[in-house]
Amino acid sequence: MAIIEVTGLRKSYGGRTVLDGISLGVEAGEVFGILGPNGAGKTTTVECVEGLRRPDAGTVSVLGLDPHRDTRAVREAIGVQLQQTQLPDNLKVWEALDLYASFYSRPRDWRALMEEWGLAELRNARFGKLSGGQKQRLFIALALVGNPQVAFLDELTTGLDPQARRSTWELVKRVRDSGVTTVLVSHYMDEVEELCDRVAVIDRGTVVALDTPAGLVDRNAGPQRMRFTLPRGAADPAAIVAAVPGVTGVTTEPGRDGDRVTVTGTGDFATAVTGALARNHVLVTDLRIDQRSLEDAFIALTGRPLDR
Amino acid sequence: MTAFAKLAAVETKLLVREPGSLVSVLIPLFFLVVFGASADATDTVLLPMGMAIAVALIGLYLLPTTLASYRERGILRRMSTTPVRPGNLLTVQMILQLVLLAAATALQLAVAGGVLGLSLPAGFAPVALVFALGTAAMFAIGLLIAALAPTGRAANGIGVLLYFPMAYLAGLIQPARQMPASLARIGEYTPLGAFRTALGQAWTGQAPEPLPLVLLAAYTVLISAVAARAFRWE
Repeated sequence: MAIIEVTGLRKSYGGRTVLDGISLGVEAGEVFGILGPNGAGKTTTVECVEGLRRPDAGTVSVLGLDPHRDTRAVREAIGVQLQQTQLPDNLKVWEALDLYASFYSRPRDWRALMEEWGLAELRNARFGKLSGGQKQRLFIALALVGNPQVAFLDELTTGLDPQARRSTWELVKRVRDSGVTTVLVSHYMDEVEELCDRVAVIDRGTVVALDTPAGLVDRNAGPQRMRFTLPRGAADPAAIVAAVPGVTGVTTEPGRDGDRVTVTGTGDFATAVTGALARNHVLVTDLRIDQRSLEDAFIALTGRPLDR
Repeated sequence: MTAFAKLAAVETKLLVREPGSLVSVLIPLFFLVVFGASADATDTVLLPMGMAIAVALIGLYLLPTTLASYRERGILRRMSTTPVRPGNLLTVQMILQLVLLAAATALQLAVAGGVLGLSLPAGFAPVALVFALGTAAMFAIGLLIAALAPTGRAANGIGVLLYFPMAYLAGLIQPARQMPASLARIGEYTPLGAFRTALGQAWTGQAPEPLPLVLLAAYTVLISAVAARAFRWE
């Protein structure tokens, strides 16, 4: 069942088009990624879904409700972590949770939430004294305190050190495991690859691709490549390799230590090729399989790398 | 507890933890004690001046700094993603700043009447009316600053920058009769000047002239209308 349906979303500010016909659907229970460079329209899209912005055209439905007509019902059902927001420095952790719980008609028990998110020992700590990772943990807890069906997490790990990012990822997995549908806005490839079930790649206000991370890589990152070196004097195995299912091309060129063979193909061809070589007693050295990444897919889709 | 009551409780704690609120109470009290110690019992100038200073400090400095920093930090925005409207937070803040002002005023009255032996106002109602009008005008200016300042720090700066010329023109830094006549005359038309003039008159039991009262009401209506139009939630 689709929890969020977005069709034909358009929005421009002062003649500058920010959203140019965004359509996407988020299924119940998944972690849905929205990936794109800064300024691509990710946050604006999410803000239209949350009802914080009114699109110029297009429709948004959250749990079958219109965020602008059924505002209160939608806000009861969603939890939001906004990009770059803070709390008052002198607000204590427990006070923030207690306060935000009071905003909802059926909140979660904030004390249990505080335990669950490892904030219990920080209960009397003031917001201004928390580390970046601790603040993120509190923000996720605040996004969940209303007992939402959908959580929106926008640029959750920007500005965190690598270790804090990794532990924040574990938190997102816990949100998913608790059955809350999650919309994750990010401009980090590794984050999206690690966490998301499906990803919408947004560039210049349009969805350029929508797929699983693996599907995006398979369909867009170009052919996968493996390379190896043949010992001097060995017979050229091109015929053996070319007969393996999934192989799309074999090239051989002379190298310093022997012939360098490059094989391109699709699917799990690399395992099949190594198997075929072994069965035919062809000994190879320096075997490498090039990992294709979401980054390659992104470049193929948008024509440029995703720079900060 | 309802969300509004909870919000009021939390904001009260934050106000108490904020050193600026203590400063806004203590500066006018300090002024009163320093000058009041050598004043005689018939003095009717010091206490209204101290009260006007408290109103100006809270209205021009504390209120806009708090509101602008709430917007800058995205606190209003975060609230707008919840079922509770962020307007509730503004309402709670306004009420709390009024309570703080009432506390500052009560403290001054107690110290002036009980310790320094200064004369208290002849009639309560006219003073209360003028005080309410002056507070409304100063809070309107504070809301305008909060609407225009991009950050809490900027609101703080604008508040301080506005406070000194306004306090000077109103005769709160130097008595009006020692000021150049032209400046003193201009001062009577400024919001804080009109407030001090009317408060002084009400204090001594004279019927307040209508002009300062009309000025205060007009400033309140005009400035709060501009502030409401200019206010941004993010």
